[in-house]
Amino acid sequence: MPKVLRILLWTFISLLGAFALATIALHRGEEINAMWLVVAAVATYAVAYRFYSSFIAAKLLAIDPLRATPAERLDNGRDFVPTNKWVVFGHHFAAIAGPGPLVGPVLAAQFGYLPGTLWIIAGAVLGGCVQDFVILLFSVRRDGKSMTEMAKTEIGKVGGFVSYVAVIAIIIILLGAVALVVVNALKSSPWGTFTIAMTMPIALLMGLYLRRIRPGKVLEASAMGFVLVLAAIFGGQWVSQSPSWAAVFTLSGATLAVLLIVYGFAASVLPVWLLLAPRDYLSTFVKLGTIALLAIGIVALRPSLHMPPLTRFIDGTGPVFAGTVFPFAFLTIACGAVSGFHSLIASGTTPKLISREPETRMVGYGGMLAESMVAIMAMIAASVLQPGVYFAVNSPAGIVGQAPETAAATITAWGFPVTAGEMSSLAHAVGEQTLFNRTGGAPAFAVGMAHIFSNSLGGQALMAIWYHFAIMFEALFILTVLDAGTRVGRFMLQDALGHIWKPLGRTSWYPSILLTSGLIVAAWGYFLWQGVKDPLGGINSLWPLFGICNQLLATVALCVATTIIIKMGRARYVLVTLIPLCWLVAVTFTAAYHKVLNANPRIGFLAHARQLVAAGADARLIFNDRLDAAVAGALVVLVAVVLIESVLEWLRVLSGRKAAEVKEAPFVMTRMALEEQS
Amino acid sequence: MSLISGCGADTLVRKTLRPKTNRKKVNAVRAGITGSLNVFVAALREIFEESAYERFLARAKVESSPTAYGKFLRETEDAKARRPKCC
Repeated sequence: MPKVLRILLWTFISLLGAFALATIALHRGEEINAMWLVVAAVATYAVAYRFYSSFIAAKLLAIDPLRATPAERLDNGRDFVPTNKWVVFGHHFAAIAGPGPLVGPVLAAQFGYLPGTLWIIAGAVLGGCVQDFVILLFSVRRDGKSMTEMAKTEIGKVGGFVSYVAVIAIIIILLGAVALVVVNALKSSPWGTFTIAMTMPIALLMGLYLRRIRPGKVLEASAMGFVLVLAAIFGGQWVSQSPSWAAVFTLSGATLAVLLIVYGFAASVLPVWLLLAPRDYLSTFVKLGTIALLAIGIVALRPSLHMPPLTRFIDGTGPVFAGTVFPFAFLTIACGAVSGFHSLIASGTTPKLISREPETRMVGYGGMLAESMVAIMAMIAASVLQPGVYFAVNSPAGIVGQAPETAAATITAWGFPVTAGEMSSLAHAVGEQTLFNRTGGAPAFAVGMAHIFSNSLGGQALMAIWYHFAIMFEALFILTVLDAGTRVGRFMLQDALGHIWKPLGRTSWYPSILLTSGLIVAAWGYFLWQGVKDPLGGINSLWPLFGICNQLLATVALCVATTIIIKMGRARYVLVTLIPLCWLVAVTFTAAYHKVLNANPRIGFLAHARQLVAAGADARLIFNDRLDAAVAGALVVLVAVVLIESVLEWLRVLSGRKAAEVKEAPFVMTRMALEEQS
Repeated sequence: MSLISGCGADTLVRKTLRPKTNRKKVNAVRAGITGSLNVFVAALREIFEESAYERFLARAKVESSPTAYGKFLRETEDAKARRPKCC
């Protein structure tokens, strides 16, 4: 394309993006179309990818197309395999896309669509994509080393230890928080519970099919599993309408929590091929298909956003979770904007598949842009709901009241009209007994998604099917995270305990498997139980805690990245990682301060504990608040130590007291370049 | 085309050339679609570990069978179980 045309094209895309951003930022009083959010996001992502990521690749990272990657040098056909960049992109995206970018934006929609949308777009292009990209490249240059190993070699032993602790903590709290989302989605829902229960035998059947009947035909088995899951959704409708079966599958939050804990333990101790792997395949199959379907649905329907750009709850009095827009909106939406967890994926399997260094840009930066787009779709799904409906679904009974009339009156008094009759009709339309107090984000997302799907495909008659399809999709996602996370946590614990007593480190020794699985499940199970019993609905405490953990991990990842950049002698470009690092430090430390010490009992854990003490409440609830405060405080202290270690290292290198020495694998010319030259 | 311009020859030549040009375009589009589909299928096969199993069969020089798949699963179990799924 001629240069002039290229300039004109990019000028047009930039102006379009700016205009769309201005529209969503400045429009007040009238509903806007969801396409403005899509256009703003797509145009910003295109400009950021074309210009910012190529600037980072060329100036900051000095990506070298001639340098052989570990996939090429260490190619063993197993872990290290040079792979087509689009294939790696798909693989990386499937690994980073979880329930977080769906749940976070739905919860943050309580502030209105504007803060969340702006954070998703800006956070991704300036923070999340940068983190994923640089960590991926640095791992590629270090033979696929993990983030914790890089923290150890580049910052020091303390850095390595803290990132290890942060990873374990984030896994435990994440699992507790996402398990609570499933519990709240399935509570008193025989249809949803039956569908999800059916995915277990379906996964077992897939495992046996793959092992005994058609070895290795995973796509075939996944397609078969998907058809069976669809049948289970229709079967769920029949179950919900049968008085005797409906009673069997109508479970309380506490029962569901116990069942999930048992499931997590079983998934961790059973052979991978039997349950974990088939569930993973099934969940990935459904995930990729549903995300594509949702994108098509939004573009086809082009719905209006009923949620205002800003709600009164930016002042911190929100019913979904308490806290002001800064810092809590930026914690609630982690995956989709910046997610520390991604640094584990970017330094896990992906670097071992990259065949040329320049491909890290598309996989790392581009993969995160795709994830961010998923978060935008979730924000749209939440914002197409009438605000009254959104708050009725997402507000805990402890805030709005148990009775439908009381809840509707409270929400209407906030300025978001809704009636008990309207909610009853909606619940009937989606095949539920009630939609009041269904906290956690998943039911609200499912209602929004069902609204979009039923308006673009199938009409109102299919609303209930779409709703339960969405619930199944989210629960399947979450259960996959749950079983994979429990197993990863178990392996990490076994590695650590192996230093104390060698047999405990043997991953195939059954007593060790049972002990470590039990410990990990007990840890996240405790947080889950605490959430189920929390009078404020659990999400109010657990989701911000999860956000703090996740963003603290991102802080560690950006500390590692900044340290390496300075050691590479590229300090003049250090702002690329330093700005998101400073932002995350400001967000996480402020949030942790509020969560521990804020005098408002709905925000501060200790204030809530004091309130419970004064009211003579259950000692367990008081202990839970103190435990949450201790976890948040301890993590912040640990990350502060890494931050200080990193800053001292930067000063030593910049002042010349320490040689700027990076610990990269030696340069080897790529065979591919030599072949191209010849 | 310019060599035989004038007296309506342009139109004649253009008419004669159009099917070829169209065929070229159609072929290019077809190649593009086939290429994209191939990459899409390859991505799915990589995500769903079908390619990894094929590499294992090639490396171990064995035919696909329940025993071979069992060996492949044992070989990859450790790595798979250590792979986190993101939130």
